Amino acid sequence: MSAYILAIESSCDETSVSIIKNGTEEISTVVLSQMDTHANFGGVVPEIASRMHIENITMVIEEALAKANMTMEEVTAIAVTYGPGLIGSLLVGLMAAKTLAFIHNKPLIPVHHIAGHIYANNLVKPLEFPLIALVVSGGHTELVYMKEDYSFEKLGGTLDDAVGEAYDKVARVIGVPYPGGPLVDKLAHQGKDTYKLPLPLDDDSFNFSFSGIKSAVINIVHNEKQKGNQIIPENMATSFQNRAVEILTKKTMNALKKYNVKNLIVAGGVAANSGLRQSLEAKSKENYINLIIQPIKYCTDNAAMIGAAGYYAYKLGRLADLTLNAKASDKLH
Amino acid sequence: MKYLFVDSATANLVVAIIIDNEVKYFFNEETGKDMSAMIMPVINEAFSLTGIKPKDIDKIFAVNGPGSFTGIRVGLTFAKTMAWSLKIPVVPISSLELIASGTPSDNNIALIDARRGYVYAGGYDKDLNNIYPDKHILLADIKEKGSFISYDPLNAIKPEIDVLKVVKKHESEKGINPHKLNPKYLKMTEAEEKLKNND
Repeated sequence: MSAYILAIESSCDETSVSIIKNGTEEISTVVLSQMDTHANFGGVVPEIASRMHIENITMVIEEALAKANMTMEEVTAIAVTYGPGLIGSLLVGLMAAKTLAFIHNKPLIPVHHIAGHIYANNLVKPLEFPLIALVVSGGHTELVYMKEDYSFEKLGGTLDDAVGEAYDKVARVIGVPYPGGPLVDKLAHQGKDTYKLPLPLDDDSFNFSFSGIKSAVINIVHNEKQKGNQIIPENMATSFQNRAVEILTKKTMNALKKYNVKNLIVAGGVAANSGLRQSLEAKSKENYINLIIQPIKYCTDNAAMIGAAGYYAYKLGRLADLTLNAKASDKLH
Repeated sequence: MKYLFVDSATANLVVAIIIDNEVKYFFNEETGKDMSAMIMPVINEAFSLTGIKPKDIDKIFAVNGPGSFTGIRVGLTFAKTMAWSLKIPVVPISSLELIASGTPSDNNIALIDARRGYVYAGGYDKDLNNIYPDKHILLADIKEKGSFISYDPLNAIKPEIDVLKVVKKHESEKGINPHKLNPKYLKMTEAEEKLKNND
């Protein structure tokens, strides 16, 4: 029998609801982005995000069901992102999911946001195991080893800023408006690698650190300013991107080698970065790695990925009861 | 008629089921930070002890603020989702009216601590008519005379809430579109205030 998962994602600034069939087929997805509102503040304001989630949540659920031409009775189970993320934002999606599960007597599936990002790729092509997943976004930078469905072993992660966060901060320093990441990527293609920036945390671990390189960018900008000079934003973007991409590629390739894995998936908002895509494509080809990078449309937060992951959690019986609470941070397990 | 009442705007979680003018289930306890974990099990208990189903409810009365921003959203997301999904009318209720409800006096001023000297304040007479509109104000700036009622340590009488009285007061209201059921914060976010002040 087919399973239709209604999934809800509200961990940051997107209110999203999807209906996913058997973990692989997207029946309908609605994403309501709040990006334009937060742009006025130069970044996501948690309280405003929460306020917008509650204003829109039932309309987004209604639209997802309407697009799928389905009723709640036809839904098999409800999946929801319980964390990590902004607690106030998570709570809105979580309460809506718990309410639907309760009043319609459906199983409730708690989904970790990162598991969702990884499973977004399952909507393109079923995952092949074992695999290494590189998860890169505004909130995450992680290398995860999966020997089978829904088994997650974190190999390493960022010790400070996430890579997307570093992109946004560098963008601000070199005068690129929010959200800066995609614009820095664009500028990087127009500049030259002229600034001396360190390759961050270049060691044998699978951890990352991006606060040092971010500080290095800030220092150069300040020093030049004091000398009455201006930096060349394009060149700074190229220099920063080259270093960030190099370390991400290097550690990912090291992980594949160490665990003798041939499947690599890349997930999260920064998976849309063209520099990173090109670098991983080239290295994967060279090393006969089967690379899957999620399509751009799944790179931002969406409920489709939560519904895909939720299906496998459901099959394994990993369900929650009505006491399920939101968690701002939680280990992927 | 079968009514469901929900309030999670203060540290006290209130859930009640009223059937034909009788309170059949009443929960009123301080839950603090556990609100979001506790609310659904309490609602589940409300239904199982009264033997009715969510779809049997004729009207939902949901407190939409003022109070804790996150707290309001917990109960209101429940009410909004249930009302929308089961097409049940939903009536928004002021947290301050509920706080004033059980104290029979013509000059009740219900208060909720809003920190840094500020409170949410609203005046209600013994029939729960809103004599001073709910607002966000410095406690020191309240000019109206009346007895202060509050859960918070503001030199006030402790509330003895009367859910049935509040429900009866609003029973004839048609309710609002669940999509439009939103918190009444009475206060902008700090980020919005800053942006406004910079203009």
